Amino acid sequence: MNIFTADFFFSIIRIATPILFATLAAVIGEKGGVSNIGLEGIMMMSALFGSLGAYWTKSWLIGLLLAMAVGLLESLVMGFFAFNLKTNIILTGTAINMIGSGGCLFLVKVITGQASTTALITKSLQIPSISIPLIRDIPYIGKIISGHSVLTYIAFLLVWLTIVLLYKTPLGLNIRSVGENPNAASSVGVSVLKIQYITIGIGGILAGMGGAFMSMYYAMGWSQDMVAGRGFIALAAQSMGGGEPVGSMLAALIFGFASALGIKISATGVDSNLVAPIPYIVTIIALVIFALNEKRKEKQRHSSAALQK
Amino acid sequence: MKHATLIKMAALSAVAVAAMAMTAFADPYNVCYIVNGNLGDKSFFDSAESGLEQLENDGRISLNTIELGGTAQDQPKWLETLYEVSDSMEYDLIVCGTYQMPDYLKEVAEQYPDQKYLIFDDDTYAGEDANVVNIVYKQNDLGYIVGTFAACMTQDTNVERINEDKVIGFVGGYDSPVINDFMDGYISGAQAVDPDTKVDVRYTSDYVDTAKAKEYGISMVNDSKCDIIWGVAGNAGNGAAEAVLETDGGWFIGVDSDQELTLSEDLAAICLTSGLKNVGNSLVWFFDQWDAGEDLFGTKVSLGITEGGVGIVTDKNFDKYASDETKAAVQAAIDGVASGEIVVPSAFDEGGNEAAQALRDSVRP
Repeated sequence: MNIFTADFFFSIIRIATPILFATLAAVIGEKGGVSNIGLEGIMMMSALFGSLGAYWTKSWLIGLLLAMAVGLLESLVMGFFAFNLKTNIILTGTAINMIGSGGCLFLVKVITGQASTTALITKSLQIPSISIPLIRDIPYIGKIISGHSVLTYIAFLLVWLTIVLLYKTPLGLNIRSVGENPNAASSVGVSVLKIQYITIGIGGILAGMGGAFMSMYYAMGWSQDMVAGRGFIALAAQSMGGGEPVGSMLAALIFGFASALGIKISATGVDSNLVAPIPYIVTIIALVIFALNEKRKEKQRHSSAALQK
Repeated sequence: MKHATLIKMAALSAVAVAAMAMTAFADPYNVCYIVNGNLGDKSFFDSAESGLEQLENDGRISLNTIELGGTAQDQPKWLETLYEVSDSMEYDLIVCGTYQMPDYLKEVAEQYPDQKYLIFDDDTYAGEDANVVNIVYKQNDLGYIVGTFAACMTQDTNVERINEDKVIGFVGGYDSPVINDFMDGYISGAQAVDPDTKVDVRYTSDYVDTAKAKEYGISMVNDSKCDIIWGVAGNAGNGAAEAVLETDGGWFIGVDSDQELTLSEDLAAICLTSGLKNVGNSLVWFFDQWDAGEDLFGTKVSLGITEGGVGIVTDKNFDKYASDETKAAVQAAIDGVASGEIVVPSAFDEGGNEAAQALRDSVRP
């Protein structure tokens, strides 16, 4: 069987998309010194409200906007606890994740009377896919690049936007300075609290888009725990990519590649218990390689510094 | 005078006997149903609840349902609640179910030997405690009937979206005996229709990740040319339906409950039928036996087609798309399994899981 079909590469991009949204949220968060481990929970809540919004208004766009708004709101709540009330941000994130699982179930029951799965989204309410003229006609490549959901293209566009935000704008400079040294940033008149809220808020919106992708494109409607660890994989992808947008995007794609590979391999009848951990094993290996690489660089830096002395 | 008193006394005692009989009838079993998840799953928990509610409406039991939630954080409450309701001594029967409960139940059941318990869809410790009855379902029989249907359908190229290849699919949750029991029957049924039928089996290793199941489903349609996929992976199984819809690849078969009624419009339209596990019916059946004086505690009961423990949906899309030959074949399979003429292998037999895995490997496309 030929593994490397156009279909295979197409699926890598599809699998990587929701992770990429959350990864960018993690990248911006870490740059601003905000470790947002609640991305998973935010995605779940946004997934729920995205599909509900689309169902209520019969418009996927409003559903998407609602998902982003819910992501923003939830991240601001998290920020309020972490920054104003000074709770431990890791614990706050954990609480958000628990709300994402149990809280969604509660809300679904209260709002719709259904539970654990909602069958509300129809095909016409799904986030549409785009067939790109000209590109779609390129043999092989066209089949890989064209035909994805709108959000997929937005996700990859956002990688570039994140670079611009972090490195080309005053806000990005502030975010990075707050992340590097909040005291120094504060001493030159930067409002650390404001920047932290902005950082976590942007992350919330991004995770919200990831959640919307899950329930409004990947699956037709919300079901409980459907995000299934993608928010955590994003944290790994962020650190695997060295906290930089492009590197982290590649890490998300590596995870997508490993998942897609696992699915192709399963067709050959390899034990499913060996197939299931492939994405995670690849992630761990990549993390080790990254850590070793960093260590080597660190060593080089030290030795060159020593030489200069 | 004396005579009249005698008559009076006789009448009184008759009334008293009648009243006693009435109380015996009006004093229903006091049942506590512990849900180690949430109602609204449109599957096991709901099915059990509907059976118990039916019993309650018929005045046969009084019911107290306790929902505990199904996440890891909820798990400590399961054991605690089992202890609490057992300790209250209020209930004639405590009902719970699924593969996650046997360890907790065993611990509590041994502490309260006078309390009766019923656990459905699990037989981990069947027969070990005299106060526990295990109810399990012949999902292999169910699989056989669904497999017969799927194999007939994949040959019927007159039906839209059915391709030339005789390949059907199965998306399971885990490579575990209970899932493989479904699969064992499914493959056996399909092979009985046509030994050339190929079955593509994948496991999501997950019951919640719809997206992952969808990726598997897409690969099954595109790589193996499956045109019928049976999803047996909880909520995740619905991902297979989405894969079929997105690739326009054929048809989906649901599981546990009639999914044609619960899936969203577009998905329901491609859902041909569902293999049913009627937990509710099985509980009603159990009370029938109990009322008839049969003591099933301390045993394992396997319910199949005859007892209404399992079944297949035969109206709506099934009726619309299945040809008369297919319907006849499915009916023959139902009759054969019910009469015991057809003996379906089970993954729960000694060495059955290994045999099921070998069978799976022999029919891979």
